[in-house]
Amino acid sequence: MKPSIIRNTFIRDYQLWLMVLPAIAAIFIFNYIPMYGIQLAFKDFDFSKGLTGGEFRGFAYFQQFIENYQFGSLMRNTFFISFATIVIGFPAPIILALLLNQIRIKRAKQLMQTTVYLPHFISVIVLVGMLNVLLSSETGIVGHFMKAIGLGHINLLASTNTFIPVYVLSDIWQHCGWNSIIYLAALSTVDPQLYDSAKMDGASRWQMVRYIDLPALKPTIIILFILSMGNILSTGFEKIFLMQNSLNLPVSEVIATYVYKIGIVSSQFSYASAIGLFNTIINFIFLISMNAISKKMSETSLY
Amino acid sequence: MKKMMYVLLVFTLLGTLLAACSNDSSNQPSNGSAAPSGKKEKLTAIVVKHALTKPLAEMEWLQEIEEKANVDIEWQEITADWGQKKGPMLASGDIPDLFVGPNVITDADFAQFNGLFQDLNELLDQAPNVQQMFEDNPATQVIATQTDGRILGLPKYQRFWPDSVNRQYINQTWLDHLNLEMPTNWDELYDVLLAFKEQDANGNGDPNDEIPVDWPGGIGGFFNPAVMLGGMGINLSSDVSGQGYFVEDGQVKNFLVDERYKELVKFLNKLYAAGLINTEVFTHDYTKFQSVARGEGDIAKVGFTWGWVASDRFGEQLAPQYTSMAPLKWSASYNGDVSWSYDFNTLNYGANAIVMSAKSKKKDAAMRFINELYAPEVGIQVLFGSIGPNIADNGDGSYSVLPPKDPQMDPGTWKWTSTWADNGAFYISDDIKLTLGTDMQEVLDHSESLQEALSRINPEEDIYPSVFIKYSSQDNNTMSLNNTNLMNLADTSFAKWVTSGGIEQEWDSYVQEAEKAGLPQNLEIMQRYFEEYKARK
Amino acid sequence: MSLRSKSIPEISFTIVLGLICAAIFLLIAYPLYFIVIASISDSVLVSTGKVLLFPKGISFFGYSEIFQDSRIWTGYRNTIFYTAAGTLVNLLVTLPAAYVLSRKEFKYGKYIMFAFVFTMFFNGGLIPTYLLMKDLHLINTVWVFIIPFCVNVFYLIIALTFFENSLPKELYEAAAMDGCSHFKYFMTVALPLSKALISVIGLYYLVGHWNNFFTGLIYIRSNELQPLQIVLRDILLSNQVFSGGAGTGGSAGGYAQRYADQIKYGVIIISTLPVLLVYPFIQKYFDKGVMIGSVKG
Repeated sequence: MKPSIIRNTFIRDYQLWLMVLPAIAAIFIFNYIPMYGIQLAFKDFDFSKGLTGGEFRGFAYFQQFIENYQFGSLMRNTFFISFATIVIGFPAPIILALLLNQIRIKRAKQLMQTTVYLPHFISVIVLVGMLNVLLSSETGIVGHFMKAIGLGHINLLASTNTFIPVYVLSDIWQHCGWNSIIYLAALSTVDPQLYDSAKMDGASRWQMVRYIDLPALKPTIIILFILSMGNILSTGFEKIFLMQNSLNLPVSEVIATYVYKIGIVSSQFSYASAIGLFNTIINFIFLISMNAISKKMSETSLY
Repeated sequence: MKKMMYVLLVFTLLGTLLAACSNDSSNQPSNGSAAPSGKKEKLTAIVVKHALTKPLAEMEWLQEIEEKANVDIEWQEITADWGQKKGPMLASGDIPDLFVGPNVITDADFAQFNGLFQDLNELLDQAPNVQQMFEDNPATQVIATQTDGRILGLPKYQRFWPDSVNRQYINQTWLDHLNLEMPTNWDELYDVLLAFKEQDANGNGDPNDEIPVDWPGGIGGFFNPAVMLGGMGINLSSDVSGQGYFVEDGQVKNFLVDERYKELVKFLNKLYAAGLINTEVFTHDYTKFQSVARGEGDIAKVGFTWGWVASDRFGEQLAPQYTSMAPLKWSASYNGDVSWSYDFNTLNYGANAIVMSAKSKKKDAAMRFINELYAPEVGIQVLFGSIGPNIADNGDGSYSVLPPKDPQMDPGTWKWTSTWADNGAFYISDDIKLTLGTDMQEVLDHSESLQEALSRINPEEDIYPSVFIKYSSQDNNTMSLNNTNLMNLADTSFAKWVTSGGIEQEWDSYVQEAEKAGLPQNLEIMQRYFEEYKARK
Repeated sequence: MSLRSKSIPEISFTIVLGLICAAIFLLIAYPLYFIVIASISDSVLVSTGKVLLFPKGISFFGYSEIFQDSRIWTGYRNTIFYTAAGTLVNLLVTLPAAYVLSRKEFKYGKYIMFAFVFTMFFNGGLIPTYLLMKDLHLINTVWVFIIPFCVNVFYLIIALTFFENSLPKELYEAAAMDGCSHFKYFMTVALPLSKALISVIGLYYLVGHWNNFFTGLIYIRSNELQPLQIVLRDILLSNQVFSGGAGTGGSAGGYAQRYADQIKYGVIIISTLPVLLVYPFIQKYFDKGVMIGSVKG
């Protein structure tokens, strides 16, 4: 990239540059300027010498994390929970959007839409409080229901086998409707004439979904999927933390909750940075590989 | 890809440069001119108060002492998430003159942010009330002093609190109803609980709604069956027994790998198998744990449990049904001492209740305020509320805590609403005469049954002096890391063994795991500090 | 559409669809209904599972307690302002950028995109960000809610994907032939055709501002500037049952216990209601035909 070429293209595309400049400035100032803090993962935090003036420690903090007694189980749990969330949670809003799009009665459609997006606004504390009340094996409505259909006494909150299903399903319950909004918007751009002519050709409703709706959603689906792969090691903290108990702990202790418990948030900035960076790099590698695969196979990619 | 990396590099470098420049230019203008005499000096302060506590502007005692110290303090009142706010604030060095709150700045913070906080030794001669506290109660000076001799935070001392956090309750009405004797050991307890379960103890016609035993969940911590280890002579103390540590014959040990703990788990498993423990004991949240014990109207649900005090644990209506019990012996044939959880120090002392910034421009004014705060007749007001609305001055040099204005409100809530209460910085001299409110009297009354066991404990020898020990930051980090690992293991194993048994087969591998988790290292560290502490005495 | 024109598979499709939708509706609506009844029932009965279908021990103590707090109105006022101004800034910065980055003729798009995506993963952490805000004098000002992080890269990508795939390519070619500039094309063609997108991105940003409590927590010191979420959190906490009750040396048991859950659930309703009111206005843009209609008009 020679400077003269940049200048030339700038003269040609100056309007485009002007339109993108505010975003570049915002990202530069608020995201890139603080990025010098990443050094902290490789250095000791020394208050008297400034944020990045401490002694250089190389990968010592990374090593400390990897050699940790619980490292293996933390990685496994974190991976399983987010993997299950992606596998089951990712298709759910797509299916819901297609379903909602099929409702022909306008009132019913609006009622459905408004209802399904509401749970998104429930705070995590209340959600987990509700899970405790409703799923209680003794007194909850789900407990009553399970007794009625002969499943007997299963404490869904206490078992290592049911923790991930309860976590993932309640997540879907809460966010599926909200996440379907983007797909609904994409579906709204489909030309109605396409449906009319398909009907003329005798296409069934299912065929219209298959050959008109799904292709319309494809780019959005691919992009969102790539992005979700970049979250493979990020699980929410608060919900898991509140759902933990001594019986499900073997599967519910994840990196985020562990970091919280050793109390490093308040005192060990360097160690916390190193664990964060470790997480980020793995996420980033997943995203880059996913993006490259997608570029090859579907010509859709992030950059 | 190469080009992208190039772009990124440029971005990042530019960012670093810019940040570096802007950091250097952030020298604050100095306005250190002393206020003209007669005019109040302005100070800034952060107080970490309880969420119930009313605005500071409405506290009469605080206005009075600000007046006396001739200062005008701008308070920032924080009720939640102080830990999260604190990090960036301290790291940026952008801090107020004073901090008030329970361990508001920790010893670890002092080590981490060296130089940010004022050594109060230099100003001590301006604070006779603080000097008086150190003289009257040397323990407070020990808590205040760092290993290098500096005093960076002042402690609080609240004197009136009981020797133990835990009281053990049994439903006396149920015992009477079923003609049962008060149990004195574990086996008798088992029989009583079984009767509770099988014979419709609450008499409402439903034989299945009684919950013989309940606790908040897990092992260690408050209101936990771990206190039953006292029945085998283990001297617990909440500071460290939450993670299983205790002292025996001068040695720091951990009950989580002790044979006596194994007996306790087996006993609890026996109870669980007989359906005597709440099936949701490991999953319920604290709200439900509390709600269940409140029963329905005058029908109680819970037979045997632990709590702070009956009216809090069971509600005003059911509290009279319960009796505070003496500790239970392990077995009828056990001849050794019976002990109980000793927590006097934790409950009555608190480190770093008030801290001063080293950058403060008005240290003298700040110290004047601190001195007023530690005056004896101010201490009781910080803890219980202003003289007038909250405390009556009896005129003869004695005081009494008044009941809440709103008869519906309980005294505890009233206290927390009115003042800084336990979150404050204060010293209550052992000389001051104060009649306590009904809530504290109930706590002290219900502690009577534990007194015999507690009186046998020699706090100097038998209890790990957690409150008085200052760890190095490295030891502190190591210990908290190991403890997290240990408790993960212990909690899950305990829950599994109580609900499904299997402790005999798994015990040996469990003990090995505990060693891998870092238990020996922690015991070694704590032993070292314990011996240093005793040598200093 | 008359009944006669429906074939048998068509009817069975409708029935199955109806059943599935009804099931989903119940599954989602019941817990929401539960929140409403729990907000007016005795908390002890709620947490012991006695309240399932109808409220019991009805009282409105929770609501009166919440509204008694004068801070809540300041919180509402602040949050509405932060949300409106913040969302506006977000859209003004995000949409043009997304448009530019969706244009194939803009050569540096993919480098810029990469630099943007990079920030979704890597960041300097809280302390350097705090120091930056301090240097920019944003701490304890309203601007800290509005200016920083005004581009959400995730939403930018969604917008970009939309522009790329939903705007007919022929449109720009035709416009360019007529000498239409990018500015003009963006303003007069691209934006009006993207109402569905603008409403979705707008809604996402809006809700983000509405629920944001972290900014208030870290960067705001004065109570006058605190957003609603911080105020509600304080109210919620002051009515919690104190699990540390004994540890902190006293107990606020009985009094707080009976109403703790009422407040917990009431807070959710109070904080969600205003956003609920906005939704229908946005929802209508998702309906079909909006785009085509505007092309023809």
